[in-house]
Amino acid sequence: MTEERSVEGWSPTIGAGVTLDEVIDLAFDYRGDVTIVRRDGTEVVGYVYNRNRDVPEPFLQLFDPTGASHTLRYAAVRTVRFTGKDTAAGKSYEAWLRRKAQAEESAPLA
Amino acid sequence: MTVPLSQMWTVATYVLQQKLKGQARYPLVLMLEPLFRCNLACAGCGKIQYPAHILKRHLTVEQCLQAVEECGAPMVSIPGGEPLMYPEIGPLVKELVVRKKYIYLCTNAILLKEKLEEGMFAPSKYLSFSIHMDGPRQEHDESVCREGVYDEAVEGIKEALRRGFRVTTNTTLFEGASPLRMRQFFDEMMDLGVEGMMISPGYSYSKAPDQEHFLRRQRANELFSTMLARAKRRWRFNQSPLFLQFLMGKQDFECTPWGNPTYNLFGWQRPCYLLQEGYASTFQELMETTRWDQYGRKSGNPKCRDCMVHCGYEATAVDHTFSSWRGFRDSVVATVTGRL
Ligand code: SF4
Ligand code: SF4
Repeated sequence: MTEERSVEGWSPTIGAGVTLDEVIDLAFDYRGDVTIVRRDGTEVVGYVYNRNRDVPEPFLQLFDPTGASHTLRYAAVRTVRFTGKDTAAGKSYEAWLRRKAQAEESAPLA
Repeated sequence: MTVPLSQMWTVATYVLQQKLKGQARYPLVLMLEPLFRCNLACAGCGKIQYPAHILKRHLTVEQCLQAVEECGAPMVSIPGGEPLMYPEIGPLVKELVVRKKYIYLCTNAILLKEKLEEGMFAPSKYLSFSIHMDGPRQEHDESVCREGVYDEAVEGIKEALRRGFRVTTNTTLFEGASPLRMRQFFDEMMDLGVEGMMISPGYSYSKAPDQEHFLRRQRANELFSTMLARAKRRWRFNQSPLFLQFLMGKQDFECTPWGNPTYNLFGWQRPCYLLQEGYASTFQELMETTRWDQYGRKSGNPKCRDCMVHCGYEATAVDHTFSSWRGFRDSVVATVTGRL
């Protein structure tokens, strides 16, 4: 089993080896909340559930924890910080088998 | 009980109408996901890993019905998450029955007995419970990562059948599945009295934690060929025989991802139930703006290379049945003789 490396906790600087488009793609792929830092310095936290670059004004969409949906143009985004927990990380089948084996070992003998 | 003739007739006339209209792409089954929450956390599932505030949310009945209306498919599959945890599942099913949609409510059945005892559902030819059963007891409990779930599901199946509901099973097969054990499992399900079984290889989601246990295409062909060799007459499959032949490597189909469009909290999912490449806000936008040529085996997309999942290929098999005399003949012969 190869665990995918998570970007949890990453705080990229756009231009330093990574583009905004790439970071937004990663945010869209990320199964945790992120913090979007706008160009004006304000921030919004939430789950990025959509992004579209195939339109004249590329945009991303997120749900904040209150359930409100926000649409932000790429042009208004400075960067994205991966601040929330990656809910897809570390939940392997093997880990379950290991937990099961441990539970069986520690169970009192009948 | 077998698939009602009225369902076969509805699907056949719908497909023929689409063909007469010259529709190259049409939906066959709407995959309606009212929520992502689940009471299990199966190792092969890439559907449930979301932050708590997303898992808490669900679609309204109105949003679901709007999606059904927009899409127009004759069948609606309700997966999830676990749809029996959706607080509006009773009213939603009722509304879909009124609209004469054939519903497959896909459930792990943990809550089924309880919901039936509460009188949440009424038996109808339009409603079928599609019970998640990944093989015999040991294999199933391992697949869902919890012991005892197989027995709970069997209790749910018995209760639903006792009350006169249509019940089917829905099985995802992973690497290491034993053809012999699966043949015994088919017997067990038939003994229980289910209407039919659906089988499919798992898909290697990038989000699914269990990457190494999904079947690759050639191994899938070998497994399904062995498992379905000299299929017993008593086994009933609730899916196109041509799809089963495809799993065995006897048919060469291309994926039709628009056949099973998916609607959930985020909108209309591109391009299919398995891949999340973005969302459209309307069904029309999904159909018109998705770059369909980038998906399927011929596209060369590595995400599609080994995929043989029913939500991509079952609709292809049904379309093939009505596209040529050969397809129609193959389908009829397999259905009548039971030979795959
Ligand atoms: S029961 Fe279904 S939705 Fe729930 S975790 Fe298992 S596969 Fe996923
Ligand atoms: S081949 Fe599979 S993954 Fe690719 S579009 Fe079709 S159903 Fe989706």
